[in-house]
Amino acid sequence: MEKSGSIDSLGSKRSSRQPSVDSLSSSSTSRSDRSAQVKPSSMSSESTSTDMSSELRVKPKATVKYIHRESDKQEPQLLPNETVQDVAKDVTYFCPFIGAIRGTVIVTNYRLFFKCMDREPVFVLDLPLGVMSRVEKIGNASTRGDVSYGIICKDMRNLRFAHKQMDDTLRKSIFEVLMKFAFPVSNGLQIFALQYGQVFPENGWKVYDVFAEYKRQGIPNESWRITKVNDHYEVCDTYPSTLAVPVNMPDEELRRVAAFRAKGRIPVLSWIHPESQATITRCSQPMVGVNGKRSKEDEKYLQSIMDANAQSHKLFIFDARPSVNAAANKMKGGGYESEDAYQNAELVFLDIHNIHVMRESLRKLKDVVYPNIEDSHWLSNLESTHWLEHIKLIMAGALRIADKVESGKTSVVVHCSDGWDRTGQLTSLAMLMLDGYYRTIRGFEVLLEKEWLSFGHRFQMRIGHGDKNHTDADRSPVFIQFIDCVWQLTRQFPAAFEFNEYFLVTILDHLYSCLFGTFLCNSEQQRMKEEIPKRTVSLWSYINSQLDDFTNPLYVNYCNHVLFPVVSLRHLELWVGYYIRWNPRMRPQEPVHQRYKELLAKRAELQRRVEELHREVTNRSVSSSSEQPGSPTRSITPVQTFV
Amino acid sequence: MLTGAKTFKVRQMEPDMKERMLSQSGDSARSRDLVGLRCLPGECVLQRVLMVRKKLTSREGRGWLSGTLFCTHFRVAFVPQDCPNPPDNADPVLLGDHDVALASIEKVVVVGPNRTKLVTPSSSLKFTPEELLLYCRDMRVVCVLFDRLTPDSQVLQMTYTIAKSYQPLKPGSVLSFQNAALGSVEMKQLLSNRSRDSHMNWFESVQDWEQELERCGAVGWRVSTVNERFEMATSLPRFVVVPQRVLDTELKKSFAHFSEGRIPRWSWRHPRGADLLRMSSFQNNIYHEKDDIRNLELILFGGHSSLCVVVELGEELPSPLDIQLAHSRLRALCLGDVSSSVSVPDDKWLSTLESTHWLHCTRLCLRKASEVCCLLRTGHLTVALQEAEDRDMGCLVSSLVQLMCDPHSRTQLGFQGLVQKEWVTGGHRFCSRLNYHRDSDKDEAPVFLLFLDCVWQLWAQFPSRFQFTEDFLLALHDSVHLPLFSTFLSNSQRERLKRTQHLGQLYTRVEGWRDLTLESRDGCDPGCDPPLPPVWDWDLQYSQERQAGFTQPVASPAPVQPLLNGNLNTCTALAQNTLRITDTIPGSVFLLSRGSFTCPPHLPPWRSGHGSAVYRKSHRRAPSSENVPGLERLLKAWAQAEFPHSLTTHLGSQGLLDPYEPLLPLLMGPCMGLWRQCYLRGAIHAQAFSHPLAPPQPHPVERLAQEVQHLWTRLAQVSKNPSSPESPTCTDERRVHGNLNQNVNNSTFLFPASTNHQTHKTTPHTACTNQQSSNSLPLQGAPASCPPVRGNDSHKSTFLFRTASPSETRSKERPRAPQTKSKPPGPHTSS
Repeated sequence: MEKSGSIDSLGSKRSSRQPSVDSLSSSSTSRSDRSAQVKPSSMSSESTSTDMSSELRVKPKATVKYIHRESDKQEPQLLPNETVQDVAKDVTYFCPFIGAIRGTVIVTNYRLFFKCMDREPVFVLDLPLGVMSRVEKIGNASTRGDVSYGIICKDMRNLRFAHKQMDDTLRKSIFEVLMKFAFPVSNGLQIFALQYGQVFPENGWKVYDVFAEYKRQGIPNESWRITKVNDHYEVCDTYPSTLAVPVNMPDEELRRVAAFRAKGRIPVLSWIHPESQATITRCSQPMVGVNGKRSKEDEKYLQSIMDANAQSHKLFIFDARPSVNAAANKMKGGGYESEDAYQNAELVFLDIHNIHVMRESLRKLKDVVYPNIEDSHWLSNLESTHWLEHIKLIMAGALRIADKVESGKTSVVVHCSDGWDRTGQLTSLAMLMLDGYYRTIRGFEVLLEKEWLSFGHRFQMRIGHGDKNHTDADRSPVFIQFIDCVWQLTRQFPAAFEFNEYFLVTILDHLYSCLFGTFLCNSEQQRMKEEIPKRTVSLWSYINSQLDDFTNPLYVNYCNHVLFPVVSLRHLELWVGYYIRWNPRMRPQEPVHQRYKELLAKRAELQRRVEELHREVTNRSVSSSSEQPGSPTRSITPVQTFV
Repeated sequence: MLTGAKTFKVRQMEPDMKERMLSQSGDSARSRDLVGLRCLPGECVLQRVLMVRKKLTSREGRGWLSGTLFCTHFRVAFVPQDCPNPPDNADPVLLGDHDVALASIEKVVVVGPNRTKLVTPSSSLKFTPEELLLYCRDMRVVCVLFDRLTPDSQVLQMTYTIAKSYQPLKPGSVLSFQNAALGSVEMKQLLSNRSRDSHMNWFESVQDWEQELERCGAVGWRVSTVNERFEMATSLPRFVVVPQRVLDTELKKSFAHFSEGRIPRWSWRHPRGADLLRMSSFQNNIYHEKDDIRNLELILFGGHSSLCVVVELGEELPSPLDIQLAHSRLRALCLGDVSSSVSVPDDKWLSTLESTHWLHCTRLCLRKASEVCCLLRTGHLTVALQEAEDRDMGCLVSSLVQLMCDPHSRTQLGFQGLVQKEWVTGGHRFCSRLNYHRDSDKDEAPVFLLFLDCVWQLWAQFPSRFQFTEDFLLALHDSVHLPLFSTFLSNSQRERLKRTQHLGQLYTRVEGWRDLTLESRDGCDPGCDPPLPPVWDWDLQYSQERQAGFTQPVASPAPVQPLLNGNLNTCTALAQNTLRITDTIPGSVFLLSRGSFTCPPHLPPWRSGHGSAVYRKSHRRAPSSENVPGLERLLKAWAQAEFPHSLTTHLGSQGLLDPYEPLLPLLMGPCMGLWRQCYLRGAIHAQAFSHPLAPPQPHPVERLAQEVQHLWTRLAQVSKNPSSPESPTCTDERRVHGNLNQNVNNSTFLFPASTNHQTHKTTPHTACTNQQSSNSLPLQGAPASCPPVRGNDSHKSTFLFRTASPSETRSKERPRAPQTKSKPPGPHTSS
């Protein structure tokens, strides 16, 4: 990626600002707080590469403003179509780590920017408005006339600001402006992703092609077909339009199965084992109810899933819930498959708790890690949040699924209540363990697009983009948990993933930032209706345009390896690099990845030099026929790495 | 295989054990057992079971490995089925990769059809075990599954044999174990012929200490021989480093002022000029003569007249008892309750781990060491570590400080030297603390294991700043539990020397067979003691492949070649931070305790009362406390803010790190890790499913490094021999090496030989013997490919790249074959 594409993009609207010469100045993603706090160029590869907009190739058409680094350090580097809404000087930021800092606050339609010039190094806080869960005025105006505001963020931190009481009572406080733009949905404004007009060399919306993905898995084949029964989202409005189902289930019967499954989420294929043909299928709970209702079509459906796999005469149904919850669901008409009705099927409960438990657990975790960590009781405090325990249960569930498919050659059906939270976690984790393709950067993007976005994980509801209703009971860190599990996998298999930790952190950052359209809306149907792909930029456009930053230098393509992680709590760790990253005392000590990268570069350079010298030698000693000093003794490509 | 198992006749061994041992060692000492166990000389197989499966740890790739289980009178050995036989002429390695020494077994547990039982030497089983679990002292757990077709009697015999042979808890059993391992004539001969690794500093001679002084650029100090015969202090090394200005006659008087005579003595000098001293507590009930006082002051202040900080190690650090308790709790937690196989449930794991206080202990030690590092980097002062006995925490903190500050000690050889300096000759009571003889539990405290854990914590936070690896630490950790090494079997250098001298006299006249026929093995006749090797003789313990993993293939960015004259002050940004504590009144002594500085009147004791007239005269003003805030600020800055971070990364972004900037670890709760590779190796409960993975491949970085190395070699070859490519003589090879090093010194990637001092100093004679000795080791690899050329060069290259494992050697050999055979170039080189 070239980093100097911005010099010719001087079509700035505002004359007050000077055009950019050096675009490599400050970072503009939400992580800049981190890098700027430490020092301009932090040691980790992650923070040096956070500079986003500077690395983009900007078409001259785009109305981008760049701010000269030296002349004006007060202002952030604005994104295309980002406009400053308000500026306030003499605002105090109460940093929990270094104390109160006085500086300037700028609010745009995308971010909150705080800068203090008096300190060395310059203190910068730069966060997208999307991460704000709640902005509130704290207390009354004190005698000293200070007004104080608290901002509770979705990414594990809280901020507190204060400024002098306005003399002009008619003028709105900057934080009132902030509240308006932080929650655009509640205030009838547009989410910034719909305005952001950056153009990237690659179009991330093209990363996932449903047919290509099914084709990669060998679908359709003699047992599975692709159906268009849900083309207009009539059978199930939270499912994608294209589904893979057993061959012997005609569309008519699918509709009847849909009536028996909650929200019409029928069992559909997620993944098929290339050799054994064992499959992972996902669905929602059956509508058994208190009376133990049965559906002949549903029973036939599961039978045909089993029959599609010649290797095994058994089917495992994994119900992600604790059995008590599953039973309680019968009161609401739901429930679980009875083993009487489903011959040869074995039902397993995975004991994973619901979204409310998870939300509460993460809240407790935040209390434990932010802002202060109590050293002497750290481990027991961590234990009391149960966060790692939940992670463990999810990973253990996924491991059982992967084990059944790989070792038992048995097909599995996975569901929870609605089949869009825990089910997605389990299927995508199991697929990550089973299929090396999903462990590449593009493969992982496909996995998210497929298992999470197209199968209707309700991102809008779970995250609450631009919605000020922070107490909404539908919010839950289900997706964060999944990414945490992926991180745990990368810890145990450091060479098996093409992406690095920064990739995962970036995904989570932009889960909230509302800069990209990827995580907007609740389902494929909604996304189509809102024309999200047309009107917004995909996160994958950004990521795939600068893969260098997200590549794990240690990656070895263990394509056909199945990863079976150790899921004991003894071997799980808290993801410090995400949950405690705001604490300046927790920064990693060693830029190890940076060094590996350098090493790879060194290798490339050496290879080139050797070849050059070789050529020279061959030219010189042509006379001595084919005498070749040091001809290659082994292939130079054992390490499958790309830099 | 199966028929073999059936026809193999199990003989009862107990009554005629000695006979058999004799016969075995007599006719074919080096004979290979039928199924591939390479016995040590004199070792005899007591029991054997075919077709067993051993559970592999996650490090070994998990899954099960089938092979044969042996029990000899020295170890329980497992030989995998298709294990390639090592060459017959290779020197014996005590333990194979899958073996466990009997002495390191702690408990034997068998799992039957529906029950689990702890097996003691006297127990008899009423069921046939399906599974055998050996819990080891080094926290490994060996799990072996018996085949169903194996006759019950054979399984039972094996179980009983192990249960009876593993070290019973009685004094003297250590000796019989040593005899089993090293007692044979061949082993004794082998051991007495072994030469020491001359590349590391053993700190056993005056030269060794002088070399260290020179390496550190410590001027104003000299090596004193007053304690050469251990007359002044029995627990001190023979040679102590004291200020040049103090004469030996004066020095002798000062021993009485410190408990056990452990006077303040020099350990290390920080490149900024601060000296690190160690001492025991002051003797208070002694009259201080004027002359004494002058000398004591001189000793305490070393070369610096300005400032001395006494760091009290007693109250803030865990006591030996704390350590012992924490460690036993940790063991119990990690291994589970052995007999009942009940382990802490997963959901209580974290809080139980916390309640062991083990991590708390490591944190305290690292914190204290970090404080001392911060002090040292401020410039000219002496920091004296004071501990009541100066034989536990003094060793630990002093060596941690050096690990943090001195890159040399983060190399394998440097680290070994450090342990020699601070622990072995420094008088750590290894034997009592490790309690090999199980004779007195009250002294037992694994202080050294705590140290290894601290080192691991540092390693885990700064992996690329270390030249040695976790494997090395693990190997050392495991060796500690093997009562075979002179390093750990004595409480002081005096004991150690006494023993070897004694043996040295005896050895010549002891006949080889004598000790074997001795009736009383735990007897008092020292003649049957085998000579004990030092732990650093790794060839004896581990195969070359394992040893290759001890050092990083690619180590830290090359620091500028040590500028160890005590004037290093390259970092200007820090110079501003550095408080002007050196401007204090000359002769101030502060006590650092609980993070604050004080100057109590009785420190040092001779300054109080009347005796301090001399002192008063020379320093009219009393040490004022106005300097104290400066020092305190320094420590607070470290303790609270992002100080350590900005310290370590300030220059990091520019790629040039001041190599002497201390590695200050993060000590917050989430940063303290559990050494899983060590403590959870035996965690059988960890894995719900075990799947064999593909054969373990080298770590990608390792492969990358090998490749880079390979490219270097090729580059060197190509650039050096363009004119005469067909004459790869030995001299050419050497040039290649030289060239390699040149290049390497320019690059920032590979570790430079930081032992230059040492190798420069080696006389031609020692270099020569070294070469001989290393050539005599057959596993060293083809001599041509990796010749120990001229000390310096070869040494460097082993630093850069791991010594050749056999396979590697082969690949290195290959480039030369095509040269002579004039093969066409491979696809890669064709342009």
